[in-house]
Amino acid sequence: MQASVGDRIVIKGHHIGDHDRDCEVLEVRGPEGGPPYRVRWGDSGHETLFFPGVDASVHHFEHVN
Amino acid sequence: MRTIDVIRRSGVGISPEQTIRDAATIMEQAGVGSLAVIEGEHLVGIVTDRDLVRRGMARGLPPDARVDMVMTAPVVTIDADDELHHAFALFRTHAVRRLAVEQDGRFVGMLTLDDLLVDLAADMADLARPVTAEILFAHHDNPLPARA
Repeated sequence: MQASVGDRIVIKGHHIGDHDRDCEVLEVRGPEGGPPYRVRWGDSGHETLFFPGVDASVHHFEHVN
Repeated sequence: MRTIDVIRRSGVGISPEQTIRDAATIMEQAGVGSLAVIEGEHLVGIVTDRDLVRRGMARGLPPDARVDMVMTAPVVTIDADDELHHAFALFRTHAVRRLAVEQDGRFVGMLTLDDLLVDLAADMADLARPVTAEILFAHHDNPLPARA
């Protein structure tokens, strides 16, 4: 998986009825866009390290310099 | 099969100086029941929702207590490339429900007992299918041809 700062990572719900969750990539700590990523979770603004698994997908955005 | 191939969920890390309130909020937001406690690049512990209750709330710790006060350390780890039977052996010999998976000495995810049970249940269902079919749709041999 590769991500850039500003991308959104969506994590699929694990159980029936679970909603998807998402977070914003603040920093890429792995080589060549790889994980781990420092992310910010939407509602609370908490920052964590994120190690994406098969339940996660990256939504790239066009970055304006 | 390698350990990394059966991890179903993303891993989420927290710093040891963050609070147990942070941990609870992050678990809720990320939809996970455990967090890897990471200092710098090194895994130093695991904190679970159960830890927050038993070691935090039950002991009267304030919500702004550091998360490393309730974490489990040291952590039982497994290499991402290890064969799955090694994970079974670790679960057998340690009373844990989660193994921290590392690659090149760095945390990459969490393998839970639930992950293995889900896989085993799927395997058992696959194995049971032909037996079930045989019971429900019994195979009838063709009658022997009549002798002239």
